[in-house]
Amino acid sequence: MLRRALVVLVVLACAGAVVAYQATRPARAPASPKVFVPSPEFFQDFSPSFRTSIADAYYLMLVQYYGEHIQGDKRLDSLPAMATLVTALSPHFTRAYLFSAFALIDAGRPDLAYALLEKGFKANPNDWHFPAYLAFFAYSYGQGKEKDLVAAQWYQKAAELPGSPEYMARLAGILLARGGAKEKAVLLWGQAFLAGDKYSRQRAVSELAKILPKDKEARMRALAPLYGTMPKPEADALVAALLKGYAQ
Amino acid sequence: MVPAIQITGLHKTVRVGFRRREVVILRGVDLDVHENDVFGLLGPNGAGKTTTVKVALGLMRPTAGSVQLGVPGVSQVGYLPENPYFYDYLSGREFLGFCARLFGLDASRRRERVEELLREVGLERAADAQLRKYSKGMLQRVGIAQALVNDPQLVLLDEPMTGLDPVGRVEVKRIIQRLHETGKTIMFNSHILSDVHELCTRIAIMREGRVAWTGAVSEALAEAPTLESFFMRVVTA
Amino acid sequence: MNQVVAIAVNTFRETIRDRVLAVIVVFALVMIAGGLWLGSISLGEQGRMMKDFGLVAVTFFGLIVAVFIAAGLVHKEVEKRTVFVLFSKPVSRAAFICGKFIGLCGTMAVVLGGMGVFLFLLVWIVAHDASGMLLVAVAMIYVQLLAIMAVTIFFSTLGSAILASVLGICVFVAGQLSHNVLSLTRLSHNAVTAALSWIVYVVIPNLSAVDVKAGVVGESTLSWGEIGVWTAYLLAYVVVVLALATLVFRRKEF
Repeated sequence: MLRRALVVLVVLACAGAVVAYQATRPARAPASPKVFVPSPEFFQDFSPSFRTSIADAYYLMLVQYYGEHIQGDKRLDSLPAMATLVTALSPHFTRAYLFSAFALIDAGRPDLAYALLEKGFKANPNDWHFPAYLAFFAYSYGQGKEKDLVAAQWYQKAAELPGSPEYMARLAGILLARGGAKEKAVLLWGQAFLAGDKYSRQRAVSELAKILPKDKEARMRALAPLYGTMPKPEADALVAALLKGYAQ
Repeated sequence: MVPAIQITGLHKTVRVGFRRREVVILRGVDLDVHENDVFGLLGPNGAGKTTTVKVALGLMRPTAGSVQLGVPGVSQVGYLPENPYFYDYLSGREFLGFCARLFGLDASRRRERVEELLREVGLERAADAQLRKYSKGMLQRVGIAQALVNDPQLVLLDEPMTGLDPVGRVEVKRIIQRLHETGKTIMFNSHILSDVHELCTRIAIMREGRVAWTGAVSEALAEAPTLESFFMRVVTA
Repeated sequence: MNQVVAIAVNTFRETIRDRVLAVIVVFALVMIAGGLWLGSISLGEQGRMMKDFGLVAVTFFGLIVAVFIAAGLVHKEVEKRTVFVLFSKPVSRAAFICGKFIGLCGTMAVVLGGMGVFLFLLVWIVAHDASGMLLVAVAMIYVQLLAIMAVTIFFSTLGSAILASVLGICVFVAGQLSHNVLSLTRLSHNAVTAALSWIVYVVIPNLSAVDVKAGVVGESTLSWGEIGVWTAYLLAYVVVVLALATLVFRRKEF
């Protein structure tokens, strides 16, 4: 009886030691911003059935990598390589292009973001999302007076593709109209909000908050045109996010 | 009359080990088993008894010599291996059903035959238990049952009494006697000479891969007071 | 024919009652369900992640089950001496090999079917993104594994069960890289190397000719004609390999 009690005590003590050891491990040091990313050519020879699985695994790694570093040291050195790899292995993985494009902006590489979206459009010529995003990026990050025209052309292209929302053509028209740079920016950040993922939405809200009037009424007036270029539920969500903290 | 088994000049050599060393197991076995014999194949361990039976069944190929069976083929042969191992995940009933199916019996005939055999070997109550739960004696009985599933003309039994309690041994002897009475030919290996004396009509004694003596049990007993002393004389000569 | 059916049914019983199989299948279902977690960190691509990683889990565990069971099928009978019971009856070596293979096909159909249906239901309920193509992909994984099972059975007639399972897995990997071997035959300047590469290319089953999973995640559209021809090729491959296994097994003594 005594021996059994002793054995039980020893086992419990060991279990306690295991839990205590794990609980007292220090937090992991921040991951290096430079991670090894093989080139797409390394995987191109792999069985086609497993290429998409590799792409998916690297996509998840890309998302985690972005989340970890954007909130930490803000260094996204390996992001371009990851985006290239994922989209090379899985050329029809639309979300990977769209998320990576925004992430590349944060990495300070709008040129690469634009090039990635162009590559995506080449691989997916019937997907209206690509020209729509190219329009947004051309306007938001382009330089010079021609950016309105380039963005409008992209929206026009998007409008011609099957499945595109009816407001694509309207956006093109708005961009071609003279003046109203802030109004155009509001509409285009609304388009970015439509990407749907957490980061794009946060980004859209924070950029809009910077350019919208502080006054509630003025803000609401500035946001009203969104309803002409976005589905109502999405527009409601964006407006609600931008009016948070204001008295009802 | 065609013998039930006719073995002529049987040689068997195998290659063992990494260097494929040749080992001679049978060195020219000549043996006739007559129809309706209860034939005892005796010999010390390593004499070649099991190998002779395996060659007769086609489980091994002879290096030289021949084996002729007086039956059309293995469909008329029943075999119980030494220390039998069966599919332990099957029940006794399932296992006998499987064996019956291998002989091409149709479903209703299979069911009938399986129940007959279970009764014959005294395993009706344990029929639905998995073979892994059977004792050695029960496995031996199921082994005999599977050897008889096709109602064979020629029955080969390798150490059929192994692991049986006295009741089991009496039952197996009864089965062998009944088979003999119905005109079947039985050949069995055994180390238990009292059983050989009781059951066999003829015997062969093997030594070092050859048949050292063959003849009727009565002929052996004419030359020595007991079968055991005759056996010792032949294998130590 | 009776003998083939009897051995097939017996093999199915043997393998489906194996407790190790049950453990592996439960583990596989847990891994498939793990796709749920991966999906949750994919920013809205839950359906794609669950389907893709779910099919990887089905392939991986299907391969483990197929190879390790196939490797033991012949070996166990010889080791446990149940071959004496079998071959003392009118059972040909060919019937034995075919019966073993068909029995294992039945078991694999149950295992893969179960995993496939589980994955389908999971994707349907959680991601609302299930389609019949998912089950077609599982069926194609099954066909690939038939070829691997046949090859593993062949190796098991030559040597030990462990060696057969290792070689079976190697052939699976080589089969996924079959197109690389074809490239070798075309790039080689030496006629002997080219001929050897060609022989290797023909001998290894081509498991990468049809893109099984990519069609499910929208990377390619599959042509039914291509799938049909590939399936017929793999079934013909199975027949040839089993014939070779029978030839080797005929020479064995017990």
